[in-house]
Amino acid sequence: MDPIATVVESAPQVAEPSSRFWEIFPSNSLFGQLFTIDTAIKIARVALALVLGLLFVGLVITVLKKMTSRRMDARTGGLVVKVAQYLGFAFILINTLDAAKVNLSALLGAAGIAGIAIGFAAQTSVSNFISGFFIVSEKTFAQGDVIKVGDTSGLVFSIDAMSVKLRTFDNQLIRIPNETLIKSNVSNITRFPVRRLNIDILFTYDTDIERAVDVLMDVAANCQNALKNPPPVFMVKGFSESGIGLFFGVWFATNEWFDGNNDMYVAIKKRLDAEGIEFAYPTMTIYPNAVKPGTGSGPSPRLRKKLPS
Amino acid sequence: MTIWKHWTLPKNEGTRLHELGTSKICVAVDTAGEGDILAAMPIYPSTAAGTRTTGKKPGISLPPLTDSAWTRFYIGTDDGYKLSPAYPPLPVCVHLRESFFLPPGTTLEGWIFSRIQVRITANEAEVASFPLQRPFKTLYGTPDAGVVCRYDEAEFLASREPIVSSFNAHPGYVAHPVRLRNTSSDPVLVSDLCIYGEQLSIFGVESIMQSERLLFIFSSSGVRMSLDGQAPLPPGATTIARPLVSGEERFIVRSFELFKTMTRI
Repeated sequence: MDPIATVVESAPQVAEPSSRFWEIFPSNSLFGQLFTIDTAIKIARVALALVLGLLFVGLVITVLKKMTSRRMDARTGGLVVKVAQYLGFAFILINTLDAAKVNLSALLGAAGIAGIAIGFAAQTSVSNFISGFFIVSEKTFAQGDVIKVGDTSGLVFSIDAMSVKLRTFDNQLIRIPNETLIKSNVSNITRFPVRRLNIDILFTYDTDIERAVDVLMDVAANCQNALKNPPPVFMVKGFSESGIGLFFGVWFATNEWFDGNNDMYVAIKKRLDAEGIEFAYPTMTIYPNAVKPGTGSGPSPRLRKKLPS
Repeated sequence: MTIWKHWTLPKNEGTRLHELGTSKICVAVDTAGEGDILAAMPIYPSTAAGTRTTGKKPGISLPPLTDSAWTRFYIGTDDGYKLSPAYPPLPVCVHLRESFFLPPGTTLEGWIFSRIQVRITANEAEVASFPLQRPFKTLYGTPDAGVVCRYDEAEFLASREPIVSSFNAHPGYVAHPVRLRNTSSDPVLVSDLCIYGEQLSIFGVESIMQSERLLFIFSSSGVRMSLDGQAPLPPGATTIARPLVSGEERFIVRSFELFKTMTRI
């Protein structure tokens, strides 16, 4: 048999299923137009780019998490990982669109315009995000520190890309945007191992100040939580309207400051009471002038007659 | 008779008083079902408020066992407890009563002393640990980078000889042989020395107790403390307490890298 003739003869048999397929889905139908070999290859490439991208980014994030947990604090590490995640997802998106033969230049152009619009709309978020980097780099506080921002103080609960969350001492969660933190005065109360308790006391003018200071020093020396070194300090603040102002500072371990505060105030009050040393409070002393008859400073003789003797 | 031993429970004798110097450790037993509760409390010389005298014989009025002054611990059916010496949980900053200058390039050997705590254990579990004087705290280092320590005061005994005299045999003290070395080019004022008790053992015979030798190196970059091997022990000395940290940690040099204000070069 002639081989060519065989091919010619067998050709209709091979094409038969395809013909049936195109009979069911004609090439001019919507499915026929969409589902071509090129489309199938494209879908496979997109799926491959997506899967490989996710695997690659997942691997990088895992390695990064391990590295940051060893070498950085939780707050910096978390931020680095989050940035890497955002970059990774952008990489997957671009790679997938490239695999889908989407014209990226046009898309990026459109994205640029959209970015400007979104940028204006999301400038606060962007500002918070960038502020987060400065907060991290300055290392002013870390998770677990007690900080004070304006009138708000509390334990740093978490440090996120956009905000810092504080747990206040009455157990409320407060979110402070990073931008606010950058602009505000932030006090880190627990940064150093020791902290001074500042006590302002006002004594009456008839108080023996030297004795009062000795008593205060003795109170501090007998307070178990008060540190021997640095020693307590005192300073006469000046003569005020109501008494003599005295500043007394006692050092405590930072984690014992609260107890130390209560112990010191109670002990000072008890001891000063026992020693007979008085606290001053706003008073006004009036010294009446002695009234001499006929000096003109008292009531007139007519009025004096009317007044009861 | 040494105090550091196993004691039976004071079931029929009321409260037992263990005296160490001027301090006392009170131990009492309270029954709880089929087991016992061990209650312990320290009495310091300055806490004379609870002390009342009857004639010439002083008496001590103790609070009831339900008072929070007692540390209570359920010991089950265990028949006793053990008293042993221990270092305080905090590092100890020994303030030298007479500070001195250490010339540059010199090494000085001597002894310092620190107060121990009384550790009460029952069935290998710690019931309580009490200092033998009212505990005070201090800062070793600067306010921004220092270490909060237990405050202690001691003389510096400049001697290479072992401590054997009864003068140094106070049951509440442990002697530390120390070697001070000034590697800087300026004299150093030595006024405070910081000891990490968790790294140290307690060796002793009866009430003479001592630790391993400590090395303090004063350099231009700060103060470094490390263990300096074993100093000569009193004859017949045994190990009373072992370090709380592991062997590896024990020999890691604990560097502070800070200057004490008073030991600043």
